[in-house]
Amino acid sequence: MPIYDQGYRRYEARGPLRKARFWPITREALRLVLSKRAFLGLLLAGFIPFVVRVAQIYIVTQYPQADRVLPIDGRLFGEFLNQQIGFTILLVIFGASGLVANDLRTGAILAYLSRPLTRRDYVIGKLLVPLFLCLSVTLAPGLLLYATGLSLAPDFYGKWELAWIGPAIVVHACAISLVVSLLTLAISALSRSARVAGLALFGLMVGLEMVRVILQHGFRQKPAMLLSIQTNLRAVGTALFGIADREVVMAWGWSALVLALLSLGCLYVLRSRVRAVEIVT
Amino acid sequence: MAEDRAPLVSFEDLAVSYGLVQALAGVRGAFYPGPTGLLGPNGAGKTTLLKTLLGFLSPDAGRMTAFGKDPTKEPLEVRRKLGYMPEQDCHIPGMSASAFVAFAGELSGLPRDEAISRAHEVLYYVGLGEARYRNLETYSTGMKQRVKLAQALVHDPELLLLDEPTNGLDPQGRDEMLVLIRDIATRRGMSLILCSHLLHDVERVCEQVIVLNQGQIARQGSIRELTGARRQVFDVRFKGDSEAVRTDLKDLGVDWREGDDGVRLLLPEGLGPDTVFRVAKECGVQVRHLRPGAETLEDVFLRALGHEVQD
Repeated sequence: MPIYDQGYRRYEARGPLRKARFWPITREALRLVLSKRAFLGLLLAGFIPFVVRVAQIYIVTQYPQADRVLPIDGRLFGEFLNQQIGFTILLVIFGASGLVANDLRTGAILAYLSRPLTRRDYVIGKLLVPLFLCLSVTLAPGLLLYATGLSLAPDFYGKWELAWIGPAIVVHACAISLVVSLLTLAISALSRSARVAGLALFGLMVGLEMVRVILQHGFRQKPAMLLSIQTNLRAVGTALFGIADREVVMAWGWSALVLALLSLGCLYVLRSRVRAVEIVT
Repeated sequence: MAEDRAPLVSFEDLAVSYGLVQALAGVRGAFYPGPTGLLGPNGAGKTTLLKTLLGFLSPDAGRMTAFGKDPTKEPLEVRRKLGYMPEQDCHIPGMSASAFVAFAGELSGLPRDEAISRAHEVLYYVGLGEARYRNLETYSTGMKQRVKLAQALVHDPELLLLDEPTNGLDPQGRDEMLVLIRDIATRRGMSLILCSHLLHDVERVCEQVIVLNQGQIARQGSIRELTGARRQVFDVRFKGDSEAVRTDLKDLGVDWREGDDGVRLLLPEGLGPDTVFRVAKECGVQVRHLRPGAETLEDVFLRALGHEVQD
């Protein structure tokens, strides 16, 4: 008996299309990424600075004189989030650089776009993956740290004057995560290889930072600050948390503008690259 | 007759171009329920027609209607009723066949539980039941073709679009794939468009055929009609120098096709086998064998492309 005689039934019970059509894309991509143990280890490593900061808050609450060397004011959160930028870069390089590149390489893009999905659904579904990864090492530990601060040092963090910390954490974490995620997806869409996309992402995030350091310190070029995506993100953080950062030598508005233009550029790349048909004229 | 039924897809004066390259130039036709073959040489516009149907490309002129809807304006509603098996590879790295097909079902709008259940059924149906938990990247070409078919079938589409489904398959795999496709069309009652340049595949599976050439429809209709008695076909063997016979018959408009065992002659209307005998006698050549033959889809295809005689 041919094997195909084993059950195939017509399907009649079609309901309306779900509104969050992008969700299966996000869920499956996250499942694939989080099934790798090494990646889970990296994700957990992203919480080491959180543990260190909790210890800092604890020590200061136990030994108030330690406040002179380990201040636990609002700047602690800004510095913490700026530190986490490095982890977001590592996470997207290892977990999200192949999101679109692999689909372009294996032709899976057709498996998506020949379904009742729009290109926007596809991009949102994929974008949520690096966004989730980045938020898990910025927003989640940031808010957890704030909650820890409130519980360990209610006399300090319970003050009305420091109520801005919570919203500032949310805004900065979202800004970091959105910019890094959009950049990751755009770079991924420009290549058919996850490895090449990962290297390009590393070059953009780390290479440009090195160029900035050389130009800024070696040649005293202040505008070079705008070249580095990391420094631009830090500049936004310094403005939000009132941190003094000697690497940030220009007004934060310029950095915000650069990041906004970069994000628009990424959206343009995604719009032109995520297609079922490659049109060469 | 398929034309007695309402078409699933119809297109009128459809023109699609890629920049300056005109891929479809004002084509008019329809896909009716049942299996239909879409034939044509490379660059004829077959895939462009399918991609316009999927809403990937917008026509420059003319209109296309699928299930009463315009694929450009309502692509989601149209795609929901289509199952597409692309020509090239399409799999998600790291996924097993069952996860991939279930995922495809979910993307097509099936609830998750139903998608998983149907994925297993469909994978059994295409003959991958035992291998369904294996990573797709470890699959052979034939298995990947079957997975592509399964992902196109999982949501039970009304119209299945198969773009070169036997590509890269060995003879046995090709035969099994064609049996499977034939079964989908006949026993499961699903309409399908089989896009192929392999005439034998189309002839085995399809009832209707559309032949595209240089962005235009060269022939369309049922295979039976197209290969019927429009012309008289004879398989003939001559004894002696048949070159003169060949020249004279070609002058009369006869298609002359060399075969392994004699020649195949396609006589235009108005001529009969007596003409062959007469010309042979005039040339001093003996006719040793003359048997009526049937025109094949290949003959129809070649004629549609303007290749009257292939030596």
